[in-house]
Amino acid sequence: MLIEQAAYGNRWRRVSPAAKGTLALGGLIAAFAAPTPAAALLVAVLLAGVACLGARVAPALYGRAAAPAIGFLALSGLTLLVAIDADFSWRWAPEAWPRVASLTARSLAALAALLGLVLTTPLPDLISLLRRLRCPELLLDLMVLCYRMLFVFSAALQDTATAQRARLGYASTRLTRRSLGLLAANLTLQVWQRAQGLHRAAQARNGNGALRLLSPEFDHARRDTAYAAFAGVLLILLARLAV
Amino acid sequence: MHIMEGFLPVEHALGWSIASAPFVALGLRSVRRQLNERPEQRMLLGVAAAFSFVLSALKLPSVTGSCSHPTGVGLGALLFGPLAMVPVGLVVLLFQALLLAHGGLTTLGANLFSMAIVGPLVAAGLFRLGRRLGLPLAACVFAAASLGDLATYLTTSLQLAWAFPDPAGGFAASLLKFGGIFAITQIPLAISEGLLTVLVVNALTRFNAEELRHLPLFAPQGKQA
Repeated sequence: MLIEQAAYGNRWRRVSPAAKGTLALGGLIAAFAAPTPAAALLVAVLLAGVACLGARVAPALYGRAAAPAIGFLALSGLTLLVAIDADFSWRWAPEAWPRVASLTARSLAALAALLGLVLTTPLPDLISLLRRLRCPELLLDLMVLCYRMLFVFSAALQDTATAQRARLGYASTRLTRRSLGLLAANLTLQVWQRAQGLHRAAQARNGNGALRLLSPEFDHARRDTAYAAFAGVLLILLARLAV
Repeated sequence: MHIMEGFLPVEHALGWSIASAPFVALGLRSVRRQLNERPEQRMLLGVAAAFSFVLSALKLPSVTGSCSHPTGVGLGALLFGPLAMVPVGLVVLLFQALLLAHGGLTTLGANLFSMAIVGPLVAAGLFRLGRRLGLPLAACVFAAASLGDLATYLTTSLQLAWAFPDPAGGFAASLLKFGGIFAITQIPLAISEGLLTVLVVNALTRFNAEELRHLPLFAPQGKQA
């Protein structure tokens, strides 16, 4: 997973997730507070610059992580540039351009805020941040289990698909459908098998409910969060004042 | 397809989050009750969330020649019930935003409403109705999975049309535009997902009949919750 790779391999790996979360929150507020498309684009560029230059996330990786969302944005932007008249005929609507421009710029800024957080913070750190924010214990348990198991399922999926491909399981559309059906059914059966295995393992260790894990410690967490809050406020002011 | 980060105006993003909140609370209460009765289900739901996340990485061939990924909405609703799908869906959507930048944090409420509330409710409702009418299991599963999937995308189109009405034709024209674009990929995908779900349920009834009997929607007729 691309984002996971960057999250573990950047310069801000050991910075407190609370600080990175605060900066992302500031970025999101700035994206929505920006009065013009130019101001929102400035926020997007600044946040992308901070991620690439500050946290040293590779620009190519950043672009690849952003690509699917930008594809959605392009498709939706084009849709908004088309108008449908009462007789169901369609035409280009240049009058919608200002709205599309501000929407696109805002979305790019918000996306940059999200990417700034997720490309620098591994998911377990974000889960521990949610725990500190008093997210319901049940949801946290689901997240911990989901995170741990998704790599197991990804490996099982890859291995099964490779074995099917080696036996020409994807040689035609009909075979592809059959192979996918078998693959999904096999993985669905594994849901029960693996869950039973985990339950038995937890019982063997006297597990009786919530999954408690050690929270990682971060040096200078307060100082970094204060810096991030300052940067966030600066970003919001910049977005409000830029024309 | 999920609505991307920052795409919805702030009042819509907040509004959909508020609309989803009671369902999340209900879902959590239902799951807690389920876990008190059957503690082993704690692991099952976590593993199911991971399975849904991985399932969304599968590429399904569709009639138009393009590929798309299954939502797993129908299958999840049939296996775990529509209310349990709300917290599971919340975790999956959050992970998709945080691990794939697919969807977003500000649009989490809107995406949750379409993917984890409307889709599973439609799927489970149709399945129950079909079984009550005495339709064959395969037909019920197909209708639940494919129409649950379509209901999800119809809700997404509705959310987008409401947020961005057409300058000339208003809400209806905008719904037609977004619905039309999604229909090109989503109708073939819904059919593919319906077929795939039938294959999965067939495999489960052959190899995991005992576990299926404990699930609310597959309980023997007359014993349904």
